[in-house]
Amino acid sequence: MKNQWAKNFTLIAAISAGFILNGCSTTVKRLDSGEVTDLSGEWNDTDSRLVSEEMIRDVLSRPWINRFISENGNRPAVIVGGIRNLSHEHMNVATFINDIERELINSGEIDFVASKLERGEIRDERKDQELNASNETAKQMGQEYGADFMLKGSINTILDSIDDEQVRFYQIDLNLISLADNRKVWAGQKKIKKLIEKSAFRL
Amino acid sequence: MTFAHLRIRKNTLKYVIPFVIGSIVLTQSACVSVTLERDEIENYLLAQQPEQALSTLESHQLKERNKSLYLLDKAMLLRMQNQFEDSNKVFEKAKKLTRKLDAISLREQAAAISINDSQRSYLPQNFEQVLVHCFQAINHLQLQQYADARVEVLQLSELLKQKDDIQMPFARYLSGLVFESNQEPDNALISYRKAYQAYSSYSSAIPLILKKDLLRLTDYLQLNDEHQKFLDEFDLEVWPKQQDIDQQAHAVAVVFNGLMPRKHSFEINVQSPSDGQLHRISTPFYEHRAAKVYGAELSSESLNTSSELIAQLDNQARTALNNEMPSIIARTIARVSIKNTAVDETKDNLPLLSLALNIAAILTEQADTRAWNTLPQQVLIMRLSLPAGNHDLKLNLLGSSLPDNIQTWKQVNMTKGESRFFSYHSPDSYVTQRKP
Repeated sequence: MKNQWAKNFTLIAAISAGFILNGCSTTVKRLDSGEVTDLSGEWNDTDSRLVSEEMIRDVLSRPWINRFISENGNRPAVIVGGIRNLSHEHMNVATFINDIERELINSGEIDFVASKLERGEIRDERKDQELNASNETAKQMGQEYGADFMLKGSINTILDSIDDEQVRFYQIDLNLISLADNRKVWAGQKKIKKLIEKSAFRL
Repeated sequence: MTFAHLRIRKNTLKYVIPFVIGSIVLTQSACVSVTLERDEIENYLLAQQPEQALSTLESHQLKERNKSLYLLDKAMLLRMQNQFEDSNKVFEKAKKLTRKLDAISLREQAAAISINDSQRSYLPQNFEQVLVHCFQAINHLQLQQYADARVEVLQLSELLKQKDDIQMPFARYLSGLVFESNQEPDNALISYRKAYQAYSSYSSAIPLILKKDLLRLTDYLQLNDEHQKFLDEFDLEVWPKQQDIDQQAHAVAVVFNGLMPRKHSFEINVQSPSDGQLHRISTPFYEHRAAKVYGAELSSESLNTSSELIAQLDNQARTALNNEMPSIIARTIARVSIKNTAVDETKDNLPLLSLALNIAAILTEQADTRAWNTLPQQVLIMRLSLPAGNHDLKLNLLGSSLPDNIQTWKQVNMTKGESRFFSYHSPDSYVTQRKP
């Protein structure tokens, strides 16, 4: 009887110790960056990547690009302007803009112009070169490539909640605007809908 | 199964009674430690030393169940030191934890029913959850992160939609200011309307600043009927036109005045005439405080404006506690009943254990007096319209007993049509009544 009790006690103690040690340890698992990981239901890297890929595929397949090439004889130069976060979430819009830029540049179908912030830094460098670099290697001011179009847009959300369920509807609108005459040559839209169910109980 | 049916050996008492006494000592000492920590933080705040208050907060051992309160206090103490970015990071953590704590924990509920309500994790009250968004929005406004402030007021609006039992006119008015900073006059008007409705439902006086904003935007958006209705009701002949607002720069100063009154416990002890058993019921109540500052003035060069009271947060806190009181009392009665059953069941066979349980039942019966104590008691607001350019701004606190009752912001560059936001915490206050 006493032995049995001792055995049970040892077993319980071992299981408890296992739980405690497991609770204390930090585990790290490497994931593929393309893998879909939805934890909180909020806007994440997967949304950013999928939206940018799909919208850029759309913008590059529309007639405005061929029309521009036939009228001007060269590829259009595009710049990414502001993308407003009008959603309910604090988002890192910069990563979304970077995703868009990457897709546009890598498509090879358009020329891409550095953003306002980047241009400022490059101009500073050119100014510095005027003073400090040799005449053969210094780059001239006033030789920048002007963009033909600006990509602008917004990210909106609509939430609908009841009890422990919430539907999050994201709408991403992008417009390509001609810098010469303000014409909108392309309007793209992507919608994402997520159902988030929250547990009513916790430990 | 009853306690009398349990086969408790007599020598078990050797272990059970010290255990019961030990638990009581631990519960009592934890309670005393929390009170001392609160006293210390309050004293530092009254002396305008938020950095010392933060050191005190961080030096005490943190209980997991009080983590949300710790985060709220920390975020507030950081913003009092103008560390708005850090404050928002901590507020975000508090928000995430609140979402998690919103789910019911059966373990904590059982502890609340058998020991006391303080055994549960602190879930911020609805009005406190709303204020988290408000303070985050103000932090963003002060950092000129208007789009981020907008995110906060959207979350705030969603929260108010879910918690339809609370009316927070200040939160609605703040939302209007944020929308205006994002050049969205139509959304701003919707928020101002909701603020007006919330003030009206409380039968509170509509702040003059809100009346002027309603008149200005209904006029600008050509909502003539609504404009006329407000004109008739407010009896104001002069209000700024949107065209004038667009031509000037605006300094908006918010003063967080006083300190949120602290919660205390009110105890009723009764001895049963039949068996001599002691019973205790303990419920929380808010003390009454008065802020020493009764107003503020914002000035720049020859221009100045006076503050208006826009929120009385201690009233919100009292309303929240009153609304919660039926469930607090229900839990207290259930708990007293469970504790008494345990005492009754052991009375005949194990009288010593019964006595120990009775003492434990009384001493562990404590009201949950936890609350977000670093909150201000009132919110004062003022807006000074100035020509665009560089300005020195001076905020004068009226009635403050502290030597640094003037706050200045030097060489603030403001552009045409822009609103710049400033805030100041003045916890200077005293307790007027510590009775329920």
